[in-house]
Amino acid sequence: MQGILQKTIFEPFERLAQQMAHVVPVLVTVLFVLLAGGAVAYLTRRVTYRALTLLKFDRLVAGTGLAGAIERTGLFRSPSEFGARVAQGTIWVFIVLFALSAAGTQVTDALVARFINYIPDFVTAVLVLLLGSALSQFLSRSALLAAVNAQWAGARFLAGSVRVLLMSLTVVVALEQLRIGRTALLVSFAILFAGIVIAGAIAFGLGGRDIAREWLESRIKSEPTREKDPLQHL
Amino acid sequence: MVLEADLSARIGDIGAVDIVAGIPSFNNARTIGHVVQAVAGGLAKYFPDRKSIIVNSDGGSTDGTQEAVVAADVDSESLLLLSHRVPTIQRITTPYHGIPGKGSAFRTIFAVAERLTARACVVFDSDLRSITPHWVELLAAPVLDREFDYIAPFYLRHKYDGTITNSIIYPMTRTLFGKRVRQPIGGDFGLSGRVASRFLSKDVWETDVARYGIDIWMTLTAMAEGFRVGQSYLGAKLHDAKDPGADLTAMFRQVVTSLFGLMETYEDVWQRVGASEPVPMFGLPFDVGLEPIPVDVERMKRAYQQGLRDLDSIYRSFLSESTLEGLGDAAGRTGDDFRVSDGLWVRLVYEVAAGYHRRLLDRDHLLRSLIPLYLGRTASFVLDVREADAVLVEAKIETLAREFETQKPYLLEQWNAATPRR
Repeated sequence: MQGILQKTIFEPFERLAQQMAHVVPVLVTVLFVLLAGGAVAYLTRRVTYRALTLLKFDRLVAGTGLAGAIERTGLFRSPSEFGARVAQGTIWVFIVLFALSAAGTQVTDALVARFINYIPDFVTAVLVLLLGSALSQFLSRSALLAAVNAQWAGARFLAGSVRVLLMSLTVVVALEQLRIGRTALLVSFAILFAGIVIAGAIAFGLGGRDIAREWLESRIKSEPTREKDPLQHL
Repeated sequence: MVLEADLSARIGDIGAVDIVAGIPSFNNARTIGHVVQAVAGGLAKYFPDRKSIIVNSDGGSTDGTQEAVVAADVDSESLLLLSHRVPTIQRITTPYHGIPGKGSAFRTIFAVAERLTARACVVFDSDLRSITPHWVELLAAPVLDREFDYIAPFYLRHKYDGTITNSIIYPMTRTLFGKRVRQPIGGDFGLSGRVASRFLSKDVWETDVARYGIDIWMTLTAMAEGFRVGQSYLGAKLHDAKDPGADLTAMFRQVVTSLFGLMETYEDVWQRVGASEPVPMFGLPFDVGLEPIPVDVERMKRAYQQGLRDLDSIYRSFLSESTLEGLGDAAGRTGDDFRVSDGLWVRLVYEVAAGYHRRLLDRDHLLRSLIPLYLGRTASFVLDVREADAVLVEAKIETLAREFETQKPYLLEQWNAATPRR
């Protein structure tokens, strides 16, 4: 009878107690890391916000595409707050990694190792996105201003097209860096890009034959046909 | 090195002169011969006892401009009907170095003037059709005989001519530095040798000053640095079309960039200046007939309306809500009722200057975005003075200039604001 009790009741309890003795400290450690890390992340956000405000970060980025993009999301009050949230998020990522590492299981260790190896690619992709976003904003605004000053009716369409094209290219490059859907992405982008070019060529060919002819004639002939501004502005 | 070795050797042989007459050029073969004749005649007639030289600083013309300078007939006896012998004026034609533009051409002329220790330097545009020998006296004599340092031109121009001057440059110049120089970017000037040397010593020759920005830069620098400034009445200014390769955007951007750049350089000076005062005027004012200028107001209005429609997000980054509202109201008016009022325009220019200073947007983009608004203001001005005579037009420009002066505290407030508007 005692043997049966030992096998059915006491031994499972002992095993459970042994497992609990191993898991509880880990859970406590993970919980502590998360709580302490949360406090650090919160402090980081406050300090970063204060530092960015002192450095007049909002003013620095006021004319760039970043400020406009942040405003459009409606999630952040200002670029400084966005920066502070990014810093807080980054700290959280490391805290979670640290917590997973503290768990010390095979699965979490492999996960952490894979993530750490992924960080350089991730950082590169983020940089590509930021640079591409700023460049597309600048170039689309340049195109918009040139087109408006030339009084082209489709100025905004032109600027939007420049932006979409450059951002598409940027996203493809960033995803390529992250090794996400490489082949499918490249093929899709090539098809999309070629499609846009062909569609544009057909549209211009069918709808703008006269414009194309006049434009070519004006280029080939020595006298430009464009009307001169008679005013002497200076 | 501003002067080529060959040129340096040539002027070394000349020694010293009293007057250097400079003519910058680029493909002006059609008109430059006349300018050289007028300048040579003026030097011979009005300054026969002074040693003078004509310097043509050319930007690589391919139409025979330099040959036209050398070939110009400057026989003063037949030109001026003089009975006595006058000395022949020596001519030098040389290519300039640096950024292609009028400013770089002036730099070479000033370098020659400095090397020759000239007491006066006069410069004339090479596309002038209305220049006479008398212009040389009017620009050089105040420098040589009255100790003036800088003489700006005062022309009679058609009421639709010189719209950047009338709507921005003249009012801003007098508001900032307190001197009423009516044509700060006229193109033809008289300078003392020391001002020419002072200009030469500045580190600006790789900027927009080397292009169209040179005129405003010279005038404002002379004013800001306390040189004696005057103006001479030259009559009508008739000239060939400006540099055919240049468009309004480039001209506008270069001139306004120079203006705003100088506002930053001489911030401490203009912020202390109060009311403006007239500057001494030389020469006898007289009336002349001016060539009518056809203006397409509807095209300018369309440009303005398109600008407001397509560039709204750009304008919001540096213009205040009330200014945008005023511009929107103007855009809604049709026909001859279309107006961009003086008050609104002044506010707009001040906010743009402050936006440029505070870098609220890429500076080049900011200035380019101003073109449609400038065309709107020009259309409004043309509609306003369509039936007006020259006196009434001048009165309206005076009213605008006073509005600029009245609103100067707003400029100071915007300029010195520490944080972005939004």
